[in-house]
Amino acid sequence: MIRLLAPAGSPEAVWAALDAGADAVYVGLKGWSRGGARGELTWQELVASHRRAVLAGRALQVALNTIPLAHERSRLFQQVPALLDLGIDTFIVNDIGILAALRRRFLGLRLTASIGCGAQTVADVAFFRDLGASAVVLPGTLDPDEVREISGVPGISVEVMLHMVEEFILLGKCWMPSYVHLKPSPMPTDPLTPADPEGADRGLRQTGSMKRGGVGTCFKICQQPWDLFEGERWRASRLFPSRQLGRVAEVGMYVNAGAHVLKLQGRSLPPEQLALLVRRYRDALDGVSRGLALADRTALPPAWTVVGR
Amino acid sequence: MTNEISVMSFELNTSIANLRDLRASDLRDYDAVYLGDIYCRLYEANFLERPDDLRQGLRILRDQGKRAYVTSYAAPRNDYLFRVRKTLEVAAAERAEAVEIHNLGILKIVHDEFPGLPVHIGGFANVYTDSGVDVLRGFGAVRITPNYELSLDEIREIVAACQVPMELIVHGKMPLGVSDYCFLLEYEEKWGIKCPDLCQKDLFLKQGDWAMKSVGKGIMSGKDVCMLEHLPRLLADGHRHFRIETLSESPEYRSQVAAVYRQALAHAADAVFEQDEDWWRVVRVHARVGLCNGFYFGKSGMDYAGIRPEAVGSLLTIPPTKS
Repeated sequence: MIRLLAPAGSPEAVWAALDAGADAVYVGLKGWSRGGARGELTWQELVASHRRAVLAGRALQVALNTIPLAHERSRLFQQVPALLDLGIDTFIVNDIGILAALRRRFLGLRLTASIGCGAQTVADVAFFRDLGASAVVLPGTLDPDEVREISGVPGISVEVMLHMVEEFILLGKCWMPSYVHLKPSPMPTDPLTPADPEGADRGLRQTGSMKRGGVGTCFKICQQPWDLFEGERWRASRLFPSRQLGRVAEVGMYVNAGAHVLKLQGRSLPPEQLALLVRRYRDALDGVSRGLALADRTALPPAWTVVGR
Repeated sequence: MTNEISVMSFELNTSIANLRDLRASDLRDYDAVYLGDIYCRLYEANFLERPDDLRQGLRILRDQGKRAYVTSYAAPRNDYLFRVRKTLEVAAAERAEAVEIHNLGILKIVHDEFPGLPVHIGGFANVYTDSGVDVLRGFGAVRITPNYELSLDEIREIVAACQVPMELIVHGKMPLGVSDYCFLLEYEEKWGIKCPDLCQKDLFLKQGDWAMKSVGKGIMSGKDVCMLEHLPRLLADGHRHFRIETLSESPEYRSQVAAVYRQALAHAADAVFEQDEDWWRVVRVHARVGLCNGFYFGKSGMDYAGIRPEAVGSLLTIPPTKS
């Protein structure tokens, strides 16, 4: 049975997504996910959210999709036993080395190769399966035929992000912003220790691209106007192409293609908008399973555009 | 130590997209060449789409005494994979000395179906960690280009942990991203220039003091990475494989910049690294937007951490040298 996986950037968003019918919700753990405008949960918020999900008979997944420096990595791995003790056993990661290291150390873990890992082909998905990933996220820019071919790869769950911003540069393959600004941010606090005393020096982490976990580094350089020159000659002013992809009308095609999970992007969405978004996809999915045509074929409102990456 | 370094060999390599550019290039100062354009299947006469050209290219390089490498696509889709396998067959049959892999699915294909082919990992494979290197070594990687965002200090830590050779871009425009979509196609009608000629124009995207170069489906830095005055540091860190990125450059750029680095590397291990001002004249002529050090010194990619005044940049005021 295909599942609907919804984002949430706050506890309120978690409740909203669950109430709207998400089968599972993914959240970022503060300091260890590609946060910024997306919203991350503190440890206490994560505990409460997980409790709510369990009571609802649903699952909570945690995005640990930064790529910490070597000395930060041990601190990341220290979070894992506490997450497992809580009952959270599905992590979304963004780096093959971190995926492999987590796979070796924590056998009971389910690891999802994030959309930032860049999988787009049968061979990519097979690679991540061999590495030990339980699931891989594909961009919604792949058409159903491509997904059908990829879903034939045995031994790994295929998730398709059907609601996402399609940017000019492929996710996980862009370091344009850090070419312009490299923006260190404070190291995250440890969730299991008391809050740092006021004025305590937590140190700075060197950040970079969103791929690497550059919180706030992606200042959407690709969506600012640029002048295009051919040599010395001005040719055009333009933005890089980008669009909100919302394939709710094609849910049935992706179900028939064999996708295991339909995933939505949008940890930056406020709870009320997230609820409407999740409900729309829930209705579409339920309609497909009952063999019904999609009743509402109107375009998704612009307010549901994922912003502030 | 100086004498040990000075007699050690190093490799200076570059990338060339097609047979026309290969034939037009004076490669005397290079040790190796990567054949193919990693960004686009439609790039004019891309080696990666033309097996006969690729065979010829590999033989030309071998006849010149160069190491012949074949690159591969940075962001393939399913329908690329048939062609990818054909390219790998040629590389294997013609005994290319390595294939450059930017995509993990292609890495798996090489590992499973062409196990005899040595693998060089390219920058788009996103190697950020020593554990990532360990994974890739398990898939046959013998050399790594780390992601361009890594500083020299971070690279040193990875080398210390993994003992694997690194290949570093020392000059040229640094890749900043790859796309599935070529926005230049939107201008075919308006400009009267068709694909595959569009992306071979000198196209820069400017915003204030920033500039980036468009190569169609790829975005590259506007400034040239220039590590010329920092070569002693690279050698002292143990690096021996250096890329001059010339995929979107003229044959003159390709040969003249290589001559500078060939001479410079011969002296970079001297007790005092005396820099010939002619080197900087050549570098400046070709760096139409300016110079940067990429991310090597933990700064933004467009910053320059040395003392050369050329690094300030000219932002397209120097006449183009490409004919």
